[in-house]
Formats: sequence, C-alpha cells, structure tokens
Amino acid sequence: MPAVIDGRDMVPPEPLELTLAALDTLVADEELLLLLYCQPRPLFGILESEGYVWREDLRADGTREIRIRKGKS
Amino acid sequence: MQPNLSFEQAPPLGVPFRFFLVAPWFGVAAGLLLPWAGESAISSRWSPAVLALTHLLVLGYLLQAMTGALFQFVPVAAGGNVWRPRLVAAILQPLFLIAAALLATAFLAGSGAMLRGAAALFVAAVSLQVVVIGLALWRTPAQGATVAALRLAIGGLAATVGLGAILAEGFAGDHGWPLVTIVNIHAGWGLGGWALMLVAGVSYFVVPMFQLTPPYPHRLARALPLALLLVLGGWSAQILGMNAEWVTAIWLAGFCLAAGYAILTLWLQRHRRRRIADPTFLFFRGAMFCLLGSCISAVVMTMLTSIGDDSRCAWWLGILILPGAFVSLINGMLYKIVPFLCWLHLQRLAGIGAVAPNMREMIPERAQRRQMRLHFLSLALLLLTTFFPAAAGVAGVVFAASCAWLGWNLTGAARAYRTFRGRISAAAAGPAP
Repeated sequence: MPAVIDGRDMVPPEPLELTLAALDTLVADEELLLLLYCQPRPLFGILESEGYVWREDLRADGTREIRIRKGKS
Repeated sequence: MQPNLSFEQAPPLGVPFRFFLVAPWFGVAAGLLLPWAGESAISSRWSPAVLALTHLLVLGYLLQAMTGALFQFVPVAAGGNVWRPRLVAAILQPLFLIAAALLATAFLAGSGAMLRGAAALFVAAVSLQVVVIGLALWRTPAQGATVAALRLAIGGLAATVGLGAILAEGFAGDHGWPLVTIVNIHAGWGLGGWALMLVAGVSYFVVPMFQLTPPYPHRLARALPLALLLVLGGWSAQILGMNAEWVTAIWLAGFCLAAGYAILTLWLQRHRRRRIADPTFLFFRGAMFCLLGSCISAVVMTMLTSIGDDSRCAWWLGILILPGAFVSLINGMLYKIVPFLCWLHLQRLAGIGAVAPNMREMIPERAQRRQMRLHFLSLALLLLTTFFPAAAGVAGVVFAASCAWLGWNLTGAARAYRTFRGRISAAAAGPAP
C-alpha cells in the first residue's frame, strides 16, 4: 500500500508541503500517492530536478492520481 | 476541478513585490489626508482633498497592487509570455509612484501644470503596460473566462487613463468640455471596466483554488465581462446626449451586475468544501458584502430622491466601493499571494530535504487577523463619517494605521524570505572549513 496524501480539500500549498515532507522519508521502491483536483506543476518541477519519477492518471470525477517514486540513479 | 498553475514562466520575485510592498503606503497617505481635509471632505465629491485621496487609493494603492498581480498572474495562470518583466516593472513602478503623488499634489494645489504632467506620466506608463501585458494576453493560447476578462480589463484600464488625460486637459485648460459627464464615464470605466473586470477574472481562478469553493458557473463567468462591457458602452453614450432616465437605468444596470457577481461569490463561499475562515476568506467576504451594500444603496438613492439628492451619498458609495470592496479584497489577496510566492521561491531554492520554512511563518495569521479587525473598524468609522463628519479625522487615522500595518506585515514576509534564503544558501555551501 502506498502512502497517500489526499490534497483535494487542502488549500495550496498544503498538499505540496505535505508531499515534500513525505518525499524526504520515502525509501527506494516505495510509492507515494497524491490525490488532487489540479496538475501540481510546481511539484513536477521540483520532482524533476530532484530525480523523482511520477505517473499521472485522471479519474472520472476529475481527481488526478499522482504516483511518485525515487528514480533509478 | 481546479485550474492549473504553471510556474515555469513566473517572473523573479522582485517583479510583483516591488508593486505589492509599495501599494499599502498610498493607503496610509490617503488616510492621513482626511484629518487634514476635515469635514469638507464628506460634503462634496469635488473637494480637492476627496479628489486627491480617491486617486491615491485608485492609482497608488489599487493600480500598484493590481499591476503587480498581473505580472505574476498572466504568465502563471493565463499562460501569457510577458516581455522582459524585470525591465518593464522597473520602468512602470516608479512612474506610477511619481505620477500618483504628482496627481494628488495637483488636486490639492489646484495646479493645471501638475495635472497635465501627471496625466502625461500615466499615459506613458499605462501605454507601456497595455502593450506589454495586452500582447501577452492576446498571444496566449489559453482560453476561458479568466483570460477574456483580463483582456477586457486591460482595455478598461486604457479607456480609464485616456479619459483621465482628457479630464486633466479639460480642468487645466478652458475648453468648455462637458467635464462632469466625462468624469462620470471615467469613473465608470475605472471602477467597472478595469477594477471589477480584473477582480472578476482573477476571482474565477483564485476563489475555487484558495477557498475550496465550487467553480463559477461557466456561462455566468463568460457573460459577466461582456455584460459589463455592454453597460459601459451605454454609459459612455451619455456623452452624445441621453435622456436622464436612461442614464439612471444604465447606472443601476451596472450596479446590478456588480451585485450579481457579489451574490454569486458569496453563494460559492457558502458552499465551500472545507469550512476554512482564514483572513483572505474573511476579507473577500467583507469585500463582497460591501459591493452588495453599494448596489443596495444605489437602488435606494435612486428610488428615494430625498436621500439621493444629498451630496453625502457620493461619500457613502465611495467608501463602500473603494476601501470597502476593492481595498478589502486586495488586502486579503496579498495575504495569500505574498507568503505563497515567498514560500514557493524558497522551496525551489531549497529542494527536497533542505530546511524550507512553513508558509505560515511568512506572515503569522494572528498578525493578519489583528490587521483585518483594524481595517474593518476603519471601514465602519469611514461609513459613520457620512452622518458624523467630525469623525473624519479619526476615521482617516485608523484607516492609515490599518494600511501601515498591512505594509509592515508584507515587509515582514520579505524579511523572512531574505533570512531563509540566506540559511538555504549557507546550508548549500556546507560547513565552514
């Protein structure tokens, strides 16, 4: 089971703050699932520069599932 | 669904901040004019002090804050590519500052030469702003109600300043122009075509995002800017000669549109997904109540001529619209935007795992709430001044104190940003050998 952050009812930048704190303790092969109603472009920029990889899926209700892992170094 | 933000094109932090940090101090200047002007300020909308403090608010406070917001909002939320933002902001901001100060002085001194000088500065600065921001909005591939409203707002700003320049020449020279009619059209474009249009366009985006409300209904969001434009077109036609009843009907139609926007926003806030009542939310709600109050007042003033003929009506409406609606709204938004930008820029510097501050550390919520209470107290006093003109001095000082407190809180966020940036840089450099 991945760690889940449901940021759909959070005020920006709360989801981003929680995600960054969670990534700090994320170990290799572990996954973090972030749920949002928008595309977190600022987060994507940080993930890219820090070497994380992510996958994004859109649910029918408009929720975006963002699954984040550490990249292979 | 919430809209998406793109920070790849965001300008350097100093670009919006140079506008945001200066804006509240024009509110201080406007407030401090009241004790000096005394009771005469309330009795006539044409008194030099009222003209000066009105323009300190709309050109000093509102224009600075709204321009700073546009420099941030257009690239980030509307996908527009603003040409050389650092350079343009470095030209615009001091020009606005000097022009606003010169215009207020011109009203107080009754100097036609200074009026012409201030108008020339505003025309130059706003022309640059309209070209640069207008081109960015014109070329953006983004569509939607926000972009449409922002495009119209830029046009509204151009119309307002153009009419202002005509008025400056009209008052400075002796041309026999219908100045009262032009003043009314100028005010209509400034408040409706620029300020309300911009606020509506931005709120379509930020209210659902920051207050967790349902989105504005798409058709209504699209229709409001167009309806406003239509009303302003009709309002402007009075220059060609128009039946007084038509003028009144168009005036009321404009207020009804503003009331519709206010009611819709209050309804959305009532249905927000999380019951947060932070200062930004409360400022926004207060602003909407003031806008609604101004619309109800306008209807009452029209129906009851015994009230409507009283010269103090202009003061009452002016307080509800300017410090009540627009200053409250901007005050609240600054408390969201400034800490958010500080935090975001620091986070990008720090990356994951480094020491980045919590956003709430930028401006403590307790300080925001206290300043908010003082702001709404000043608003109540300013409204009471309509009936007790002797209180004008006290009301002005309290309003000035509230604006100064906002300025201090925003500067505090900038100081916190510098402190944390220094820590991040020191941590990145590693321990001293």
